[in-house]
Amino acid sequence: MTDPGPLVTLALLLPAATFLLLAIAYPLRRAGRAAGIVSVAGAAVALAAALRAWQLQSAEGFTRIAIEWIPQESGPLATVGVLADADSTLMLVLVALVSFLVQLYSLGYLDTEAPASLGRYYVYQSLFAFSMMGLVLAPGFVQLFICWELVGLCSYLLIGYWYERPAAARAAVKAFWITKAGDVGLLVGIVLLWFRAGTFDFLQLYDLARGGQIPLAGLGLVTFCIYLGAMGKSAQFPLHVWLPDAMEGPTPVSALIHAATMVTAGVYLLKRTNWLFALTPDVLVLVGWIGAFTALFAAVLACVQSDIKRVLAYSTVSQLGYMMAAMGAGFAAAGFLHLLTHGIFKALLFLGAGAVIHAVGSNDIYRMGGLRRHMPQTTVVFLVGTLSLAGIPLFGGFFSKEEILGAVWSGGLAVPFWMLVTAAFLTAFYMFRVVFIAFFGAPAAPAPLAHGGHGGPDVHGGGHLHEAPAVMTGPLWLLAALSVGIGVYFTVHHGEPEFIAPGWLTPLAVAVAVAGIALAWLTYSRRVISADLLATIFAPLRRAALAGFWLDDLFEGVYRLALLGLARLVGWVDRYLVDGVVNVCSAWTLAWGDRLRRMQTGLAQDYVYGLAVGLLLLLIWVQWPR
Amino acid sequence: MPASVSLQGYLVLAAVLFAVGLFGVVTRRNTIGILLGIELMLNAVNINLVAFARFNGDAVGMVFTVFTISITVAEVALGLALVILIFRVRRTAIADHLDLLRG
Amino acid sequence: MSLETIAFGGLAVVLVASALAVVLTKNLFHSVLWLALTLTGTAGIFLTLDAEFLAAVQLLLYAGGVVTIVVFAIVVTERLVGDRITQTSRQIFSGLIIAGAVLVGLLTFILRAPLSRPRPPLGGDLTRAIGDAVLTRFVLSFELLGLFFFAALLGALYFARPDD
Repeated sequence: MTDPGPLVTLALLLPAATFLLLAIAYPLRRAGRAAGIVSVAGAAVALAAALRAWQLQSAEGFTRIAIEWIPQESGPLATVGVLADADSTLMLVLVALVSFLVQLYSLGYLDTEAPASLGRYYVYQSLFAFSMMGLVLAPGFVQLFICWELVGLCSYLLIGYWYERPAAARAAVKAFWITKAGDVGLLVGIVLLWFRAGTFDFLQLYDLARGGQIPLAGLGLVTFCIYLGAMGKSAQFPLHVWLPDAMEGPTPVSALIHAATMVTAGVYLLKRTNWLFALTPDVLVLVGWIGAFTALFAAVLACVQSDIKRVLAYSTVSQLGYMMAAMGAGFAAAGFLHLLTHGIFKALLFLGAGAVIHAVGSNDIYRMGGLRRHMPQTTVVFLVGTLSLAGIPLFGGFFSKEEILGAVWSGGLAVPFWMLVTAAFLTAFYMFRVVFIAFFGAPAAPAPLAHGGHGGPDVHGGGHLHEAPAVMTGPLWLLAALSVGIGVYFTVHHGEPEFIAPGWLTPLAVAVAVAGIALAWLTYSRRVISADLLATIFAPLRRAALAGFWLDDLFEGVYRLALLGLARLVGWVDRYLVDGVVNVCSAWTLAWGDRLRRMQTGLAQDYVYGLAVGLLLLLIWVQWPR
Repeated sequence: MPASVSLQGYLVLAAVLFAVGLFGVVTRRNTIGILLGIELMLNAVNINLVAFARFNGDAVGMVFTVFTISITVAEVALGLALVILIFRVRRTAIADHLDLLRG
Repeated sequence: MSLETIAFGGLAVVLVASALAVVLTKNLFHSVLWLALTLTGTAGIFLTLDAEFLAAVQLLLYAGGVVTIVVFAIVVTERLVGDRITQTSRQIFSGLIIAGAVLVGLLTFILRAPLSRPRPPLGGDLTRAIGDAVLTRFVLSFELLGLFFFAALLGALYFARPDD
């Protein structure tokens, strides 16, 4: 086939088909591994279709297949379908690839799950794959929003996969709530845009924007509202609080959703609507600042975590901040590139961490140590991922990170630039801290399993350190190879830069990364610098970081104040005003009835009085018009 | 004094009698006393009726009076029967004590 | 000053005085006697109005029948209660007020009404006219009156039956 359109549609519909199949045919679902194999097979074919489509897709052209969903006289109100162009097919490949690898990996990771439960997992995975692809390929805001919400739903379902654990259930709800706050903004933005432009379709909006036919007045509000949606999904400050807690879900889920695909939806949205944001440069500056701040903030928080997944979660938040900073500087291509490379190596890091957790039985890095002796393959791939993340040349993340720094500098955002540089230093530091503590050094004393076998989150049978099974190491090696391959490719072929980066940028970036690694090595490997001394020097910062800078408490306080306060107010109004009116009426009726009752004395003569008074009134009335 | 009494004279007399009867109904304690007051009021009404009948030259008013007198007599009889019954049961003559219908 | 006017004035005085006596006397028996006088006075008024038949009816039924019934009732209840029934009045002041108000209202109504016209001459025998009317125009009411009396009789008999 030469047309990417049908291929893309096939890639989109395959996970939908597996989802429906597994959802409806519950004997298959209850079979567990069989359901997994069906899902993985579907994902594999979808990946093949996506790759072929990407190959066929030219850089400039696009293919659009759309079905009219809500008809209207002046053109359809909403369409569903696919819009395949260079960006969407590339993103589709990333989604399909990571989805396939994660589903394959899960067959090994969740091997101790009950079959019915495993089947449920693959139902959710297929639904997620379909939703994410639908989001990526959306031809207009309607489908985008629907898939946006579906993706949020899948995130909730998958974070709360082990729903019997209260922490997981709470984390799922928290993720849903926080992203929903952003989603409201997105919805408002979409509707406001429709009021101004009259359409939801991306192509029509693109033409209108290029032609200057979208009124600029108040457009900043529209783009800011759309950015709010991206803020929630892509965990920008202050809506980042859900991502670390989302680590309660299984590690493959974290790799797929909270590293490579769902959280990048926000960045992807900004890339997709770049032409709209270009009309409101002020909002873009805000995006850039928030992105850079998020990057630095999350990097600080990552330095004090002892849970390996939480380190990686904060790292993801930080890297998302990088991407958003590039978007804000006006060079969306740099941010998008980092999205792709980060997706690869972050998924690699998460899956590697999953292998470690699977073997050790705990997430705590201080329970690990000297793992390289028992898990050499995992150590190698994890090291590859860490070097990519730190931005060392020849590895995946180097070029894209340097592009972002250059973009931010060229975009004129000086303070954000230095924030990003500091964050780069810290990134290298905290990642290698994990590496040195967990993979090198002395093994930790085996910890007594506190709950009789369930010592921590994804735990089962830990205690005997072994290398991960092939179904898990296979994806790991593939991702590591991809990471190195991308790094080498970009080192050799520098693309056409959209901006001129200053000459000192590359050396600065490399130096900062090396410095971070060196500090980590000195502190955690050689123990020349005491970690405790560092902790004491930065004590207040450390304490704040451990408390997440009290953002969770702030959110909780606002929730209590605002929502519960509003609820109490409404309750008060209901009890005292609404019910009060009724109660007052009844009380008055009773009181007046009681008073009027005294008229009935039972004595006939009193009633004659009444008659006489009535007669008098009658006489007066008759004579009134004199 | 006019040559003959006008209609208004009779009506005024009747009104005075009515007021006196009303006073009696309202102030008397004994039930039979109340009935006597009612008699007075009805009497006044009859005077009214006959006066109007005479001054309109129509006998219908007087026919009406025949009826009212008859009905009044029956009412008095029954009223007194009730009074006797009450006296039998409640052993009291005072109207103030008969307040079983008190609300 | 015609005879008619003097007669009317005198009867009026007697009527009002005896009516006041009815409502003010403490002794119930005396009250009844004053009522008899009042009813007789009314019969006299009827006579001045040329309503002889009605005067006769009044004397027969009212002054004769009603007074007798009331006297019997008083005797019976006195026997039942066992002591002389005294009359005391309650709330005389408010009674005066209300009766006075009603009187004033009626009087203003009467005196404002344009009623002064002389007595039309008597056309024929009024008694005959009453009889004719009763038996022709109002015969249905008359018969119903008989039925009404029957009902009243039954009621009175039922009420006055002895306790069995």
